[in-house]
Amino acid sequence: MASGDAITRHVVTFGRVLREAGLEIGPGRVADALRALAAVDLTRQEDVYYALRQTFVSRQDELDLFDRAFGAWFLRAPVLAPVRAQPAAQLARAGETAVDRLRPRDAEEEPGGEPLELGASPYELLRDKDFAELTGDELRRVRELMERIARQRPHRSSRRRSADRRGDRLDLRRLIRHSLRTGGDPVDRPLRARKEVPRKLVLLCDVSGSMDNYARALILFLHAVVGSGRGVEAFAFGTRLSRLTPDLATRDPEAALAKCTEAVVDWGSGTRIGASLREFNDVYGRRALSRGAVVVIVSDGWERDDPDLVGREMAKLARAAYAVVWVNPLKGNPDYQPLAGGMRAALPFVDRFVAGHNLRSLEELATVLAGIERRHAA
Amino acid sequence: MRFASIDELEHALQAADYLPDRGLSTALFLALTLEKPLLLEGEAGVGKTEAAKAIARATDSRLIRLQCYEGLDVAHAVYEWNYPRQLLHIRAAQEGTVSEDELFGPEFLIRRPLLEAIESDEPVVLLIDEIDRADEEFEAFLLEVLSDFQITVPELGTIRAHRRPTVILTSNRTRELHDALKRRALFHWIGHPSIDREIEIVRLRVPGIPERLAAEAAAFVRELRGLELAKPPGVAETIDWAMALNALGHKEIDAEVVQQTLGSVLKYREDIELVRDETLSRLVEDASAASVR
Repeated sequence: MASGDAITRHVVTFGRVLREAGLEIGPGRVADALRALAAVDLTRQEDVYYALRQTFVSRQDELDLFDRAFGAWFLRAPVLAPVRAQPAAQLARAGETAVDRLRPRDAEEEPGGEPLELGASPYELLRDKDFAELTGDELRRVRELMERIARQRPHRSSRRRSADRRGDRLDLRRLIRHSLRTGGDPVDRPLRARKEVPRKLVLLCDVSGSMDNYARALILFLHAVVGSGRGVEAFAFGTRLSRLTPDLATRDPEAALAKCTEAVVDWGSGTRIGASLREFNDVYGRRALSRGAVVVIVSDGWERDDPDLVGREMAKLARAAYAVVWVNPLKGNPDYQPLAGGMRAALPFVDRFVAGHNLRSLEELATVLAGIERRHAA
Repeated sequence: MRFASIDELEHALQAADYLPDRGLSTALFLALTLEKPLLLEGEAGVGKTEAAKAIARATDSRLIRLQCYEGLDVAHAVYEWNYPRQLLHIRAAQEGTVSEDELFGPEFLIRRPLLEAIESDEPVVLLIDEIDRADEEFEAFLLEVLSDFQITVPELGTIRAHRRPTVILTSNRTRELHDALKRRALFHWIGHPSIDREIEIVRLRVPGIPERLAAEAAAFVRELRGLELAKPPGVAETIDWAMALNALGHKEIDAEVVQQTLGSVLKYREDIELVRDETLSRLVEDASAASVR
């Protein structure tokens, strides 16, 4: 049996291995692990495994990593290389991607004869310009404007109340205090009101080929919304779904788009909206992430597979969500009709159907979000 | 109550009609021994809440449960003043003879789960159920309570725990919890049980059930979990269903029986629709094959 010192060294080093693998391991956890090992029978491998796992791991998605590290460290098993998504090769083959277009375009690409209407300010022009036609420079200005728009969030009233002269409930604690002075007669009536808190917001953005022109601008919008506060979750989808929130919160939006596009888009294979929605419903909806949330889907509605699946999954989503908003950049065209199969199947479950092809339409979206009410039947 | 070893705790849990797997008993053992809160996560229906009830029975403790929800506040989680009594008291007393101190004294205090758990003199298992549904502000407050095991009521001062309650938190992961809360707690992920354990659980919880029926029911539910369902059935559903089958006097399952009783296993219309006709017959066949082995 290893002596106490040897165990301590072992556990400290193992903690370091886990930290390097990306787990959050501080001195507190190492101390807990040592106390846990002191309490269990060290000759039972299963007990040692659980004692270490329960003190070092705090999330389900870290279990896999822990198991590999434990196997390598304590069982001397060969380490399996972590599964990695296919790298740059695919991107290169696909030629220009949404990421490339995020980068500022060369000056010569700047259209020389920008249509100048008399009386319209540059801002007004920018507001109405289709995202697909923005230059890199304009995109940067658009980004600032988006941050302003993104600050508007849908609200719900919290169950919590605070003192408010125009409240709708008596503040009993204060009422009692005040009544003391008047022999138990409630002469004045302090009130409390519900506070307004931001409603959960879930964004699902189509980044597949057909949305390429808009993805670069809309990802900036997602970035601005995620930065607007808590309770926002963002996802990207193409042929698969990927959670964007952690990347958008820390990285710059271009890097986040690059990473997620690589993860969810198989070039030239179209969009699987239904399958992506199903993944969302199964993995995140089951954890009630969509319950009571305003869900915003950004997509042109071109479904590669069965439109019926889109309908079925939209029905599930709409049932859990407080409201569903569909943003379709194509709707900016006055002649647009929602004929694409996926779009047609989805529409019955959509509360608000808006464009999203330029800044003005995003302003409208923000207004819709701020005042949205549940419309569809639960 | 402490246990000398994990084995000893397992015996106590079994005596309390609960069959944990080794991972869960280790987690509960460490929570008791290290006196740390235990955070349990897992798919719905794997028995997170049940584990807290079982450890309360096994340790002869009182179970105090705080069910969390959006907007849960101090008045419902910790304490509230009994306003009607306060008002009546002022009315009944001579004018000017009631002091504020008297009015905001312990006899006018309504104790909610957290305060009750802190104040209790007997051993307590405090179950904080579905913590992820509470607001983040409440979670921060809870973190304070769990670090010091004390609660401050402005009018009364600070109330300290005489003995630390055993704290079990459950979460369905609708959102990430604060890192600080996770650092403070032990973490255990409960998966679905193995088929053998599930059969054992069914036989323990449904006394008198024919062995074959228990095995077939467990195997069938296991087949269901392999499908893409909106809500895969948990152990609780297996038990409910086995109870129903047993009460109806069945000795084994067939397609017709399953069709009639499917509602106690599957809770969504589209799940029930998915498991019909050929799918159902195939599953029944697979299940009886798997349960004979």
